[in-house]
Amino acid sequence: MPYLNVTEVESAVTSLATAYPDLTQLVPLPNTTFENRTAHALVVGEPSDTPKPCVMMIGGVHAREWGSCEILVHLAADLLEAKRDGTGLGYGGTAFTAGQVSGLLHRLDLVIFPLVNPDGRHYSQTVRPMWRKNRNPANAGGNPNPDCIGVDINRNYDFLFDFVTAFDPSSNPRVSNDPCDPQVYAGPSAFSEPETQNVLALLEQFPLTRWFVDVHSYSQDILYNWGDDENQSIDPDMNFRNSEYDGKRGVPNDLAYAEYIPKGDEDAAVLLAEAFCHGLNGVRGLTYKPITGFHLYPTSGTSDDYVYSRNFADPDQGKVLGFTVEWGTEFHPRWAEMQQIILDVDAGLVQFCLAAA
Amino acid sequence: MSAVPNEPSQDDILRLHVTAKDPEALRALLRDTRADVGGRPHVETDGRIGVDVYTTADRIPDLEREGVTVTRTGNASEAGRAAQAEVGSGDRFAPDDAVPHGLAAKLAG
Repeated sequence: MPYLNVTEVESAVTSLATAYPDLTQLVPLPNTTFENRTAHALVVGEPSDTPKPCVMMIGGVHAREWGSCEILVHLAADLLEAKRDGTGLGYGGTAFTAGQVSGLLHRLDLVIFPLVNPDGRHYSQTVRPMWRKNRNPANAGGNPNPDCIGVDINRNYDFLFDFVTAFDPSSNPRVSNDPCDPQVYAGPSAFSEPETQNVLALLEQFPLTRWFVDVHSYSQDILYNWGDDENQSIDPDMNFRNSEYDGKRGVPNDLAYAEYIPKGDEDAAVLLAEAFCHGLNGVRGLTYKPITGFHLYPTSGTSDDYVYSRNFADPDQGKVLGFTVEWGTEFHPRWAEMQQIILDVDAGLVQFCLAAA
Repeated sequence: MSAVPNEPSQDDILRLHVTAKDPEALRALLRDTRADVGGRPHVETDGRIGVDVYTTADRIPDLEREGVTVTRTGNASEAGRAAQAEVGSGDRFAPDDAVPHGLAAKLAG
């Protein structure tokens, strides 16, 4: 099975819902993209009389990172087939028993949204393979430069969206307010894009989401909160909502600012990230590293930090630990290698879910 | 720059490996050039710090400065076009009985 085109990602999701009606729920996303595409998420879990905690996983956010969709479609397909047939799952040297698979789907719901940015993926798969953003031309202002199309969906969430105010000018966060930036334009406002609105709608529809994983490439890491600065667990007032620290964020190894994370949350995040790396390592020996998002590069407006920030901004929102998987060592591995990466990452994700459950 | 057998087209995005003597020098380079990076900066065996950068051939001189090495390691656009040939056509799940199967082995019990 080579890479899925955008029609096939959507079709794969609906086919799984049809084939496994007792173990799935098909969730239509409310917003259509600029090119008028619609999408569905798939909830995978054993039926339950009471709502269960959820792991939400999204993929296909950055157009050129194709394999993220396949990672999530295969994960869902494997879990459903194993649950139906009462088997375990083997990913190279990592194995899970039938009891582990069944227990996982008994205790958790997996909310899987494999293709957030179908317009971008279609453009990348048919025209410019290195395209990253969505295909919304609304902010180009008539500029004929093709780079002026699109918004970086993973800079469009409502976390330190006004990065010019929030960050130290020398910190060089990987985000831009220039609509013609070919990679990291954040958009005119937080949640301006239908793709981020769809993720937000999914979060609101599944308020028992406790863990969130955004699948990207590449660096062979799993990122946990935060992405704007170093972590600290000493001073709760030194946090993203505190304007006293505007203009000080994003500089490594300084004393001016570090983002507050309760010690228990960081410990829990590290344990889950290590579980992911352990499951992945068993497949064929690859070593992925758990690091904070900041140690990849400073960012604002990312999904993982947004989902975690919601509970600080509004304690009525349940706490969601945010993660980003950065699989592989290139954007477009040949399909033979991508199949190995799918096994690696899916083993990690199953181990992650078992640790969460 | 390493010699390359095939010249890229003008718009092709090349994959480069850029190294600098220390993290601050690399940060300054990336800040000045707003380069598209891939992966995480790594300490090289010689102690320098390196990262993958993606850009067109005409932008490579922007990266070249004292203390910085730039090595072309591939043509990302070309690799992407090769991968485009591995994208499915049509809809393999259109038939009623066509269901995705994962790659994991299904283990008894």
